[in-house]
Amino acid sequence: MRVSLQQAYVLHTRAFRDSSLLVELFTREHGRVSMVAKGVKGGTRRKSSGGSQAALLQPFVPLLCSWVGRSDLKTSTGCEARGTGPGLVGRRLYCGLYINELLSRLLHHYDAHEALYDVYEESLQRLARESELDLLLRQFEFRLLEELGYGFELSQEGLSGEPLSETGWYVFHQEHGLIAADAQPGADMPSFSGADLLAISRGEFNVELRRTAKRLMRQALAPHLGDKPLKSRELFRKQA
Amino acid sequence: MSFSPLIDTLVEALRCLPGVGPKSAQRMALHLLERDREGGQTLAEALKAAMAGVGHCRRCRNFSEQEHCAICTDTRRDESLICVVESPADVVAVEQSGSYRGRYFVLMGHLSPIDGIGPEEIGLHLLQERVRQSDVEEVILATNPTVEGEATAFYLTELLRPDGIKVSRIAHGVPLGGELEYVDGGTLAHALSGRRLVEPG
Repeated sequence: MRVSLQQAYVLHTRAFRDSSLLVELFTREHGRVSMVAKGVKGGTRRKSSGGSQAALLQPFVPLLCSWVGRSDLKTSTGCEARGTGPGLVGRRLYCGLYINELLSRLLHHYDAHEALYDVYEESLQRLARESELDLLLRQFEFRLLEELGYGFELSQEGLSGEPLSETGWYVFHQEHGLIAADAQPGADMPSFSGADLLAISRGEFNVELRRTAKRLMRQALAPHLGDKPLKSRELFRKQA
Repeated sequence: MSFSPLIDTLVEALRCLPGVGPKSAQRMALHLLERDREGGQTLAEALKAAMAGVGHCRRCRNFSEQEHCAICTDTRRDESLICVVESPADVVAVEQSGSYRGRYFVLMGHLSPIDGIGPEEIGLHLLQERVRQSDVEEVILATNPTVEGEATAFYLTELLRPDGIKVSRIAHGVPLGGELEYVDGGTLAHALSGRRLVEPG
């Protein structure tokens, strides 16, 4: 199978043999793709392709990638830049790494998610210029779950389908989304107040609500991540 | 076809080397057995000794069979400079440039969350301790100009700056003898943004 000039971003690369790279791509039409890019490392410059491929095969750079291969591991036949990357530095770079780690943990190979790809691309661009990085991450997490089929309603009770009440208390349930706290007696899950959830669903955020939103998204993501913690969260911890 | 068990084990063992497939492993094994038994013995002994004896220098984390490596014990080197690199091969590269006379700190990797490598795994707290305990004035961040290398450099900057240490990053630009036409856009952008005034000669 030959695929040419697919819109893609690199999620991760790993050294392979002396001069090759194993590349994890997030492509628009083929979802997550693994490929090997041969002979790109170690200063090998192919003049015809316009510069070093290793410099291109970096996360956050919009690419057009071509590959061949019938097995799960494809072979790269060339990549070119589709523009320049957003140039993420500092905390913005950590956020980018966090998003990439989420995607590589949650996406299955060769499941196309075109809408998610567009959200990803937009998020990277917003990551470079917006100041409220945590809101951006929460929105991305929410969309990610939605696109993967694990989405939930922020303003509806999951079992009855009725709108949340301002005075009610709710817990997050993996299958039903938000359910009334008394519908599941004995659950030791921390609960969320209806007023908070409704404010979040209207897009209103203050310091307290941001923390609530983070707690909610963590609970929603946790069952899909398994028991291995996300390593990029360590980067954000306050340093001693 | 397969050889006797001992030879098979040797061929299989040689394949742990990078870039050595079944065919080259077989060629190496047969060469040692047919023509160079003595070389094979030396190799075996050297391998055994190195695998058992080589550890990490306690100050810079570079490979060393002593507690402190040769660079860390060399008194002629500048104590106030530490160059942070990702791998022992990078130490060799910087040493070969002949333009650096300070000390090193070898991370043995870079921050790479997807691979499960966080700040603890690359010994960043060790570096922070070392910087606090000795008279270090400047830390030069010579991690690779990759996304992970940049993340590592930024993390280190945040870690060290509160202690009042000067933190610098190596420059990125066009390689000597290179041609602008063939340099990728990212490097060229770095080279332009990091340009220097021409000093009057």
